[in-house]
Amino acid sequence: MTDRVEALRSELRTWLAQNVPAGWRDRQQGDDIEGFLASQREWFARLVAAGYATPHWSPQWPGGGRSLAEQVAIFEEIARADAPRMSLFFVSLYHAAMTLQEWGSEAQKARHLPAITKGEIWCQGFSEPNAGSDLASLRTRAERKGDRYIVNGQKIWSTLGQFADWCLLLVRTDSSGPKQAGITFLLMDMRSKGVEARPIRQITGDEEFAELFLDDVEIPVENLVGPENEGWKVAQTTLSSERGLTLVELTERMARSLWSLVELATSVGEELGRIDDEARRRIVDIASRIEGLRAMIAILMARRIAGQEGVGDASMIKLAYARIARDFTSLGLRLRGPLAQRETRYVLGAGYETGNWMFDFMNSYQYNIAGGSNEIQRNIISERVLAMPREKSA
Amino acid sequence: MTADVLDVAERMDPEELRDAARRLLADQVDRRAVLDAPGPESHGALFGEMANLGWLLLTAPAARGGLDQSFEALAPIYEEMGRALSPAAIASTMAAVDMLRAQDDGPGAELLDRIIAGEARVAIAFTRAAPSTLPQTISLVPGGTEATDLLLLPEAGQGQAALFDLRGPGVRIEQVETWDRSRFFADIHLDTAALKPLQVAGEIGRAHCDLAIAWDCIGGAQQALDEAIAYMGTRKQFGRPIGSFQALKHRAADLKVGLEVARALTQRATAAFAERSGAWADLAGQAHLLAVDSYRAITEESIQFHGGIGFTWEHDCHLFLKRALMNEVLLGTPEQVRDRVAPGILERALKR
Repeated sequence: MTDRVEALRSELRTWLAQNVPAGWRDRQQGDDIEGFLASQREWFARLVAAGYATPHWSPQWPGGGRSLAEQVAIFEEIARADAPRMSLFFVSLYHAAMTLQEWGSEAQKARHLPAITKGEIWCQGFSEPNAGSDLASLRTRAERKGDRYIVNGQKIWSTLGQFADWCLLLVRTDSSGPKQAGITFLLMDMRSKGVEARPIRQITGDEEFAELFLDDVEIPVENLVGPENEGWKVAQTTLSSERGLTLVELTERMARSLWSLVELATSVGEELGRIDDEARRRIVDIASRIEGLRAMIAILMARRIAGQEGVGDASMIKLAYARIARDFTSLGLRLRGPLAQRETRYVLGAGYETGNWMFDFMNSYQYNIAGGSNEIQRNIISERVLAMPREKSA
Repeated sequence: MTADVLDVAERMDPEELRDAARRLLADQVDRRAVLDAPGPESHGALFGEMANLGWLLLTAPAARGGLDQSFEALAPIYEEMGRALSPAAIASTMAAVDMLRAQDDGPGAELLDRIIAGEARVAIAFTRAAPSTLPQTISLVPGGTEATDLLLLPEAGQGQAALFDLRGPGVRIEQVETWDRSRFFADIHLDTAALKPLQVAGEIGRAHCDLAIAWDCIGGAQQALDEAIAYMGTRKQFGRPIGSFQALKHRAADLKVGLEVARALTQRATAAFAERSGAWADLAGQAHLLAVDSYRAITEESIQFHGGIGFTWEHDCHLFLKRALMNEVLLGTPEQVRDRVAPGILERALKR
């Protein structure tokens, strides 16, 4: 099995050397959104054709049936080759595809899975303005009328939702019981009448998320996933679909981009010995924490592969990553000094390590807030890992 | 791989070694005893028991009567010693074994044989000065009160080392009173003319000591955190266990994450050192850094978690805090460690 993984790695290195679009960062520097979408599509098509986009899909799909160890290897190699991220297609490949493979009807799978490999884009309609960390309190209503649901409400933080073709939608179909009961999981065609997606402008100026306004949107009953009122269970599949691979990739990218901190601190041409003591020590701290995090992720993935994952393991890694990302970018920002304040052009879709320190620092909040905020992770760690007493919750 | 790395004999189960260590330490260590009688006599037979269990032979070469294990056999023992606040230590002696294992004759080989025979205990001190220009007093030497031999190593591990026979004439060993009473430290006054220059792989001793400190910290930090969590689960204020308050839980969660990152890195560094693979020397230094940092953070917060009771001499919180703060500066301050590992880390980062 190790041999298989090693063979895959060497095959990938060769492929990546030939296929990562040369100078993609330069081309995307300050590019407009159309340019970003075009380069994402091009990169995605190459990955699909080579069979590297769908390693986690079941074996009957082209490129599918790879072990988790092989999936980890693919993400690590892509990160080490400094290839573009798959931002635009991540929700389609992971959240949508994994949910459909586990819960979807045959008709749903036949309709959507091939379309995903051809580039159909999905977004997630989970969070609401008043249901963030407390997701289960969501209030977007769906009423069944004959063979359709009529949906009214508002969703927020749909990643790249303004470009999506389809949406994984959580709605409330019953308010009489506990909040987790009465949630239903639907597939929504983003071209349906009554759907409006408005991009959200972030503190970076970038627009990576959308708000969705749903006004009497009609969704056919055949787009129901899992039983009515049992959508919360389906959503757990969606939320755990990426199995830690995002953090594998992001941590590798961060480890690799340490060079940019060192280059900053030394300023080009100066010898390493002349670097300022304080900067050098802070880089050592960040490098050590990244190395510790990589070791921790390796342990987690090994446990996952062996089916022995510990409760709260994923939360500890998420929190560790979020804190390091913030400190890493904050250090870069300080080392770059006033120059960082006038560099306002940035690279879309490169993860946070674009090399634009102000952008990267601001963007690092994403990892501290999205996907379960640091505070939620701390609740999980203290209650489930450390077994501290629960707080009463509403 | 360097030539002095053995083909490790059949690997002993680290978890069995851990169990044995746990049983011995639970039986023999009274962590409060040293408060009233701070000296080696407070733990009388402990070192002898460790020798009886064969710990000193674990990593010694088979050809000399050892068990040919790698550092991975020692790691759980060091961790358990940290957890138990063990007053007896074997790390310096075992670091000497690692450094001397390839020596067939001369003073190094002779020392190795005495260690294996249970006749020598080694203290290690790191110094920035060349041995010939050494000061007459080497201060705050861990284990110095009981050592038979003193091994002086250059701070970063590379350069000229020296060996002193502490049983010889012209040596005065003075136990130092320290805030940390869980171990014993000595100022060693010696006649530098009595030194024997020694060719050893100093960087191996350096890495061994880094990892021994790291594991001591991981074990102590885990124990201190466990005790604080248990206390917060039972102590009630405002009608609730204080451990249910988010203000405390969130800090505990952060401390746990810091500990787990440090532990993962220390494991990785241990494996690299055992195989002498990759950047093992720098990794050991980095593990040292993260582990002392986590131990200090946990023991500092632990007193705050306990409130007033944590500020008393009667409670054990301060035992951990004092050991943590001593570990933080023992055998190199964090800034010295950072400066030591920085060149390698920076150079590798630039290679991408």
